[in-house]
Amino acid sequence: MGDKKSIVLETLTNFISFVSPFFFYFFSLENAWRLIPVCFGLFGLMMLIVYVAKIPINYNIRNLKVRYRTTLLTAMAFILVTAVLTGLMGFINGLKRLAQATGNPSNVIVLSQGSTDEGISNLAFENMGDIAQQDGVKRQNDEPLCSRESYLVLSLPIAEPVPGSPTRRLLQVRGLFDPVASAEVHEFGLISGGEWFSEAGVRPSADPNKAPLVEVVLGQGIARQLAGDRAKAVKEKARNKDQLEVGDTIPLDTRELVVTGIMKTEGTTFDSEVWAKQSVIGPLLGKTNFTTLVLRATGPEQAQKLEDFFMGKDKDFKYEKSQVNAFTETNYYKSQSQTSIQLLVGTILVATVMGFGGVMGVMNTMFAAISQRVKDIGMLRLLGFSRWRILVSFLTESLLIALLGGLIGCVLGYMCNGLQATSIIGGGAGPGGKAVVFRVVVDWGVLGIGLTLSMLMGFVGGLIPAMSAMRFKPLESLRG
Amino acid sequence: MKFLMLIFKNLRRNMVRSLLTSAGIMVLVFVITLIWSILGFLDMATSEKAANFKGIVTEKWSIPSQLPFSYAATLEDGAAREESDVKPMDSMTWQFFIGSVDKTNIGFSTFIFAFCMEPKKLLTMMDELDSLQPGPRATLDTAIKAMEGNRQGIIVGQKRLAAIEKKVGDKIKVFGINYRDIELECEIVGTFPPGRYDNNTCINRDYLNASLDAFKAAKGRPHPLAEKTLNLVWVKVPTKDAFSKMSNQIDSSPMFAAPPVKIETASSGVSNFLAAYKDLLMILRYLLAPAIIITLTVVISNAISISVRERRKEMAVLKVIGFQPNQIILLVLGEAILLGVVAGAISSIGTYYFVNRVIGGIPFQIAFFSSFPVLDGALWWGAAIGFITSFAGSILPALSTRSIKVVDVFSKVA
Amino acid sequence: MTEKPIVRVSHVSRYFKRGSERVNVLNDLDLNVPEGQFLALMGPSGSGKTTLLNLIAGLDTPSEGEIWVGDRCVSTMNESQLARWRNEHVGFVFQFYHLLPVLSAYENVELPLLLLPLSAKKRREQAMTALELVGLEDRNSHLPSQLSGGQQQRVGIARAIVTDPTLIVADEPTGDLDAKSAHEILDLLGTLQRSLNKTILMVTHDLRAARRADRIQHLDKGRLVDQPDESLYEAG
Repeated sequence: MGDKKSIVLETLTNFISFVSPFFFYFFSLENAWRLIPVCFGLFGLMMLIVYVAKIPINYNIRNLKVRYRTTLLTAMAFILVTAVLTGLMGFINGLKRLAQATGNPSNVIVLSQGSTDEGISNLAFENMGDIAQQDGVKRQNDEPLCSRESYLVLSLPIAEPVPGSPTRRLLQVRGLFDPVASAEVHEFGLISGGEWFSEAGVRPSADPNKAPLVEVVLGQGIARQLAGDRAKAVKEKARNKDQLEVGDTIPLDTRELVVTGIMKTEGTTFDSEVWAKQSVIGPLLGKTNFTTLVLRATGPEQAQKLEDFFMGKDKDFKYEKSQVNAFTETNYYKSQSQTSIQLLVGTILVATVMGFGGVMGVMNTMFAAISQRVKDIGMLRLLGFSRWRILVSFLTESLLIALLGGLIGCVLGYMCNGLQATSIIGGGAGPGGKAVVFRVVVDWGVLGIGLTLSMLMGFVGGLIPAMSAMRFKPLESLRG
Repeated sequence: MKFLMLIFKNLRRNMVRSLLTSAGIMVLVFVITLIWSILGFLDMATSEKAANFKGIVTEKWSIPSQLPFSYAATLEDGAAREESDVKPMDSMTWQFFIGSVDKTNIGFSTFIFAFCMEPKKLLTMMDELDSLQPGPRATLDTAIKAMEGNRQGIIVGQKRLAAIEKKVGDKIKVFGINYRDIELECEIVGTFPPGRYDNNTCINRDYLNASLDAFKAAKGRPHPLAEKTLNLVWVKVPTKDAFSKMSNQIDSSPMFAAPPVKIETASSGVSNFLAAYKDLLMILRYLLAPAIIITLTVVISNAISISVRERRKEMAVLKVIGFQPNQIILLVLGEAILLGVVAGAISSIGTYYFVNRVIGGIPFQIAFFSSFPVLDGALWWGAAIGFITSFAGSILPALSTRSIKVVDVFSKVA
Repeated sequence: MTEKPIVRVSHVSRYFKRGSERVNVLNDLDLNVPEGQFLALMGPSGSGKTTLLNLIAGLDTPSEGEIWVGDRCVSTMNESQLARWRNEHVGFVFQFYHLLPVLSAYENVELPLLLLPLSAKKRREQAMTALELVGLEDRNSHLPSQLSGGQQQRVGIARAIVTDPTLIVADEPTGDLDAKSAHEILDLLGTLQRSLNKTILMVTHDLRAARRADRIQHLDKGRLVDQPDESLYEAG
């Protein structure tokens, strides 16, 4: 005799391992839009059964209308749950899109050994030359095409902080060794009217007594945020109140940064960065080391080969001179979505719990609907409607509420689409990670998940009461 | 009393409905308790204290802050130069050592995040560890004494210890990730009490500094990070006034030219770090928590309206035999509120004990916080949420009983 | 009739609006009921007998006219005053008993006493006395669902007399009972009237039940009539 517990456990494990691929398939967001046809398909199938089996659905619909207040209250729970879920998923989706859009598959990002985050990487300048000379790196004018970068975070005081809110903004600054090469590697253009910084990286101030201005280009997202950080008096005089423009300055202690260009980086993490000449900004901030080396490979395949080569994945063909971490940019930014995975898990948890609350609500409604209609059900049974027809009719009733609530919730959730938000993306634990500006993306995938959850709630919440209705004996219920 | 009994009996009448409703209340209150605990904890961390300020000294411009260790002694004194200058009540230095117990395989099961410090400061400066119960405090103190006796001794959080599959007494070698080519040979002398420091490790700062010196002696050149090893200094001052005096002392000190330093209150330091999470926290606070509370209200309202509709006739009888309309309203409100308060209280108090005692905190990563305790407020939150939502959810159904006509009870035959 | 009337209905009319139409249910009706009398109100459906009962019992207010019960003018009280007055002065017996299903027989009887400033001990005494009077003291802990129809109605009667009301109002008290139980209930009402000198107003359209009363008053089209058409009651 097998242990009962272990059989149950085994069955459960088998079930989960059977179901989870489906779960992950749909919850990968790229595929989740397919849930919409699945939902409507299943619902359509149900309606077809209702039609073919001549189930008195009008009776149920009439009841929903008569008890419209209860119907609305129940639908309200569905609306809320679906709206919140789609809004949150849109947030996560936006983060994920951002991470995905940032990487260039032909670029390889090289960090010091053990570093998974630019923030803690520390590359020796002398090693970078040799790393860039490897096969597979694209060459231009007989020089390897690469970008030597120093990623650092600047803690910039906010001019007139509102009491109780932050007094400093953590600004992500990328110091570039050779801006021209970096621009070619990253392929970012500037919005017309701007220009990359000069060879010197500084320009004289209009006031001869002041130190030269440090030239910077920056992403549009951070340009908008910094515009809000300015002192009130400065803001009033500004040409553009909502965004820094070419020529605007940012005070930094005794020096000033001057904007020479705005990068076309919308939808990438670079949109939150300020770029400057490393030889100027590094010493100014006391950081003279390099953190990142970005190589442009001759193509995506070569990029992947370079990653394997530097990471020592291939025994016969690996880089021996120094130990580094290398990733194709695509892989690197994919690994940065760790934060969104944590959020996703949190959201699923919250959605499940809220969904459970909604299920309780719909069960109450359906149980009450059924107990009010015991006599009706008895009569239907006497007239010859079989048990499963009763089951289907009541299940359809709760699914109708779910569909109604789910659709309204989706519409509400969709209203979050395109909102600008800030968050952090990062590869794992600790205070690392990048602050990013992005837009909430409520797409078909997100809506599919929202609608599915709503229908699932309706199904679970409707099934048990419907089954109880099915079990009534016709004569007894008539006597009531 | 008799009223309460009547309410209670009414709740027992439809057990299925009462159970479904309380189950709904419980799960929703559970989530709110978690959300409010996280928000409340962060609020506490970012709210300015009136006394016993913790000041954080870091590099003025750059993050992560990397200062030469030579700053330590002066900063521990609050850069006091004159007799009249303010000195900290207590202080500690932080050096972060990120490493791995396996040189080639760096991952979850090998990762070590350690702060290097003076071991005795664990008990006086560290949040939560400075206010331990006598039992755990004595245990930790034993480990600290061991670290002071043997500078290679380290304390490892319980979860981290389990992840690297080691136990107290084992010897481990930690390969530096940020400190390249620094290898620390350590002996695990104890663990932290469960909770906040489950994934952290504490190393004696003397050992790290000695290892950096040894590197210089062996290689003939200083380690690249040798002058950047001090990450931050904490100072404790009694009053806001003392804090601003010390702030002036540090700003005006000639000691800290390259790189310059700044001092900020712990709360403002934390809130600057949390700024990037602003939207996320706003969503939690102003969207998710209210949405859950409204859902809760809707669920309760639904259940109560159903109950009221089913019992209109009974309520008419009560009115006929002399119950005032207000007493009927109270009866309905009482039923909802009893259910809400009891279910809510059970849920949040249960969450408090379960999460704090069994799980050891809410695992959620925000900035440098990785685990949040369920706050003491949870002991009353559930009852309060239950009260408010059940009141809000039942007031309309309750008022609807006013429309019940006493004449409805008589047989319609006549 | 030498006794002073405990219920005085004078020039009472009651009409309802149905759309723009006015429906007269009671027309300028006068009725006196002396203390201690058992009065049966009879009449065909729609004759206004239940409306009259509602008015006297303080469940409804007349459109015109005055109703006095004892020394109180019922027709001018507001809803809250009426509720308090009903609690103290009127006992109700219903066709469908209307006991609270979640409460035991004893608790149902005790219910009206909760509204009075009485000690728990006093409440218990009074409720048990009422139950004894209806002969159900041994069933006091049963739920209504565990009692027969006749027993439930007796609990209903106990609840009606527990506050020692001025007036007992019974609406078709035997309408839902078999002949034997109906007989017992009417016996009980008769006994209560005689031994406690209670005034009882009973609406019925069962002539056999009505004949147990001291006096039968017929209603038709909202007026009292002397010579009823007895064929109307044959069905009952």
